[in-house]
Amino acid sequence: MKSLMVLACAFALPGVAVAADHGPVFSYATPVNSQRELSFDTGIFGRSGSQGTQLSTGSGFGYGITPHITVNAFLPAMFGSGALPESRIVPGSEWSAGASWRFQHSVTSVGKRIESTASLGLVVPGPQQESGVLANLHRAPGVAATLATGFASRSQYAWVGGGYTRFAEASHDRRPDTISWSGVYGYRPARLRRGYDKWDYRGFAELTGEHTGNVRTTGAILPASSTTTLWLGPSVLAIFKNIAISGGVQAPLLRDASESIYGREHVRFAINFSYLKYSAH
Amino acid sequence: MKKTLVTGTLALCSLAAHAEYQQVNLTVFGMDCAPCAHAIHVSMKGIPGVDKVDVDLNTGLVIIKLAPDNSATMRQFNQAVEKNGFTHKDATVIARGKLTGTANAAFFEVTGTQDRFAVVPAATGIDIAALLGKTVTIAGVLPQAPKGKLTDTLRYNTITEAR
Repeated sequence: MKSLMVLACAFALPGVAVAADHGPVFSYATPVNSQRELSFDTGIFGRSGSQGTQLSTGSGFGYGITPHITVNAFLPAMFGSGALPESRIVPGSEWSAGASWRFQHSVTSVGKRIESTASLGLVVPGPQQESGVLANLHRAPGVAATLATGFASRSQYAWVGGGYTRFAEASHDRRPDTISWSGVYGYRPARLRRGYDKWDYRGFAELTGEHTGNVRTTGAILPASSTTTLWLGPSVLAIFKNIAISGGVQAPLLRDASESIYGREHVRFAINFSYLKYSAH
Repeated sequence: MKKTLVTGTLALCSLAAHAEYQQVNLTVFGMDCAPCAHAIHVSMKGIPGVDKVDVDLNTGLVIIKLAPDNSATMRQFNQAVEKNGFTHKDATVIARGKLTGTANAAFFEVTGTQDRFAVVPAATGIDIAALLGKTVTIAGVLPQAPKGKLTDTLRYNTITEAR
């Protein structure tokens, strides 16, 4: 049964770059599941721009094979259309599955740890079509790789990470390669460092950025279809034992995208709910 | 003669049944948030014989209280920490078991488990010779062991004959 589950996760799904679970809502982070821990995430991710609002919701599943290796899958559904650039920070319509490996883990004292996690996943087109220029492309699967490193403690958190997604070509079309990165700082005030049977809160400042390559359509590069954006905003995470709710909003610091091809994106927001099921043995 | 044997056997069984960990205070490094503590709580509670678990995130202290006649082992407690991706440090234990060996090389065996430790006094001036071969209650510290290993030394603070 366990093998079937692992195989299903590894081959049927892809992996979203975003670390939701019980970390920051937009940025890459290092935590992975405990051994035999099952995690479930669901949320709403929005991107609002000059040509409308694009919402995606979905379900994410993670399972800890070992204390440092987690397999995961994310199956989103998208609503609305904004004719927006490709993004791997905010989920689109692609299904994904992959594995995360916390390859470096160092505990330095009570409550503190320094760790690094790498992820590799498959990204496959979901049943829904994209909007804007991306809607006209034949879609093919891609691979997504991410790397995050950082520090966690009872009071402060800091992670930096990056990811790269490359799609295969389909009928002379190709979705743009995406390079994404993030830096996040989190803080839990002293009076909120309470027992685990009380609500646990922390706030984050999340900086994310993405560069998408050019769109290839019918064998030719679509001029000026490459984009670069930079986003900054706060998010809050509230946890009670094995339930976590997080939400955040981001505003653009930099938007280098052709407005003749894409809608002008104004704001990003996310609300995520996590349920963590721990194993007793 | 037969009656004496039965009585003796029952007495030994009684002693064995009462050899156990009573409380383990385990320091855990790496827990930063509520789910970390909850994970440890669930894992420890899943060990047969564990009665109550308290986790203090700010000190990293996990206090495990055990029911009478349990057969829980230190290895199980350590594994519960490791499978959640954390690190166990020193453990302070109160346990009942048999004192064997000699006055200069004594061992403490938690009967009913595979746990056996060389006992070393945390302070000088404790004479344990009179307790050899008896069931004792011991309070002491099990120093941190590498991942997957169990320390072989128990530094005891107090040792008394068990009632």
